[in-house]
Amino acid sequence: MIEFDRVSRRFGDIHALRYLSLTIDQGEMAFLTGHSGAGKSTLLRLLLLLDRPSGGDIRVCGESTAKIGTGSVPQYRRRFGVVFQDHRLLFDRSVHDNVALPLAMAGYAPRESQRRVRAALDKVGLLALERANPASLSGGELQRVGIARAVVAKPEFLIADEPTGNLDPALSSEIMSLFEAFNQVGVTVLVATHDLPLISRLRHRILTLSAGSLAGQESG
Amino acid sequence: MARPFSTLLIWLVVAISLALPSTFLLTLDNLGRVAPDLTRGAQLSVMLRSKADLAAARLVEQRVGAWPEVSQVSLIPREQALMEFAEQTGLSSVLMSLENNPLPHTLLVEPAPDLNKTAATALVGRLAQLSEVERVIQDTRWMARLQEALLAGWRWVTAIGSAMVLGAVLALITTMHLVIDARREEIEVVSVMGGSAAFIRRPFLYTGVYFGAGGGVLASLCVWLFSAWLAQPVDALLALYDMASPLRGPGAFYSACLLAIGVCLGWLAALIALRRYLRSLEI
Repeated sequence: MIEFDRVSRRFGDIHALRYLSLTIDQGEMAFLTGHSGAGKSTLLRLLLLLDRPSGGDIRVCGESTAKIGTGSVPQYRRRFGVVFQDHRLLFDRSVHDNVALPLAMAGYAPRESQRRVRAALDKVGLLALERANPASLSGGELQRVGIARAVVAKPEFLIADEPTGNLDPALSSEIMSLFEAFNQVGVTVLVATHDLPLISRLRHRILTLSAGSLAGQESG
Repeated sequence: MARPFSTLLIWLVVAISLALPSTFLLTLDNLGRVAPDLTRGAQLSVMLRSKADLAAARLVEQRVGAWPEVSQVSLIPREQALMEFAEQTGLSSVLMSLENNPLPHTLLVEPAPDLNKTAATALVGRLAQLSEVERVIQDTRWMARLQEALLAGWRWVTAIGSAMVLGAVLALITTMHLVIDARREEIEVVSVMGGSAAFIRRPFLYTGVYFGAGGGVLASLCVWLFSAWLAQPVDALLALYDMASPLRGPGAFYSACLLAIGVCLGWLAALIALRRYLRSLEI
């Protein structure tokens, strides 16, 4: 469970978030939407402790993140799988090695790591491209490799920031069904997106941010 | 490494910064080793009064030889001295025509090796007070000069060396900044995914060590080549002074030290360069 409790983030005179309170339940899949500058990215950054709130508290599974010190941040971040809009794969290594990165930092043995990477690539349908260089992949494939990397270490939460921003509608809906598939096996999923036509077809809660506050929520 | 040319450049920077001061050090080290060989010059020549005969001279020799501050005494009888003088100067016919031998009996006194300056001066005084002694000739000034020169040399090398090593560290830090900048994307992604500071640091520390170690190896190669090149003329020079060559090249220990220093500098530079980046990522 993720709880934002009257969270604010100020940058000088600008309020990126203003007393924002929201809750995402364990095992839920939710969409976060709103105009550019509404505070979506700030919210995700705060959740991943890439930034700290100016006020209020963020609790994950009942525990306040304010108490997490610098040394424990990496361990906290490993509870999240993150998918970026621009996939952020590393082009100096193969698809396999990209997906293996979260396992390397968690200290998995090579054999176990190999098994998990292959399983994750299989789930996103890209096992055949295991040895390929990401530079040779299409946009949709890159994003699916990004998703494989996000889920390979079996995180509790899957966070995606505009994962379909660069994709056409058919590919976008394919990506969304991947997220739904992971949600169905118990992962809590939070997707920030502009793609209203797509998400209105899906039956999940939609949280709308406006000027740093929660403007509305529709349950799916 | 992906960029062999820039790797070679940083190796050369580190190598030159390490090789120059260590060449100076090696030179001073060798000079210091030559110096004790020259302590022969620190011995005292004690001229006896001309009225003292050979028996009296032998007595003085025995007495002085028993002093604790003296390690060795040898007597040069005036006849022997005259012969040597005649031989060395080629003035034998002139000297033979002299009625009397103008040279006195002479004692060559070698002070104990651990004698300090004050004790050496006291020894000179003590010798001069003996009734048979006419004059004590002491040639220690040049020794003192050499010692001061060596000390000045050490300090000079230390100062220049520190400056050059600092320069190497700064060059390494700059290069590491470039390396890190080139992989900034990777650092950010890894940090968002929960890579620990140690995990992020590790490859860069290896890169720093690689730069430093390469520099250290090149540096010891430079010093070794330099000393090999220098050995022949220096040996010849020392031979002209009738000295066995004590010249010593860098050797395994020297090379190991240079390598170790290079590794430490690379590691240090990588750590310093990484600090700024890791702080900005809040890990």
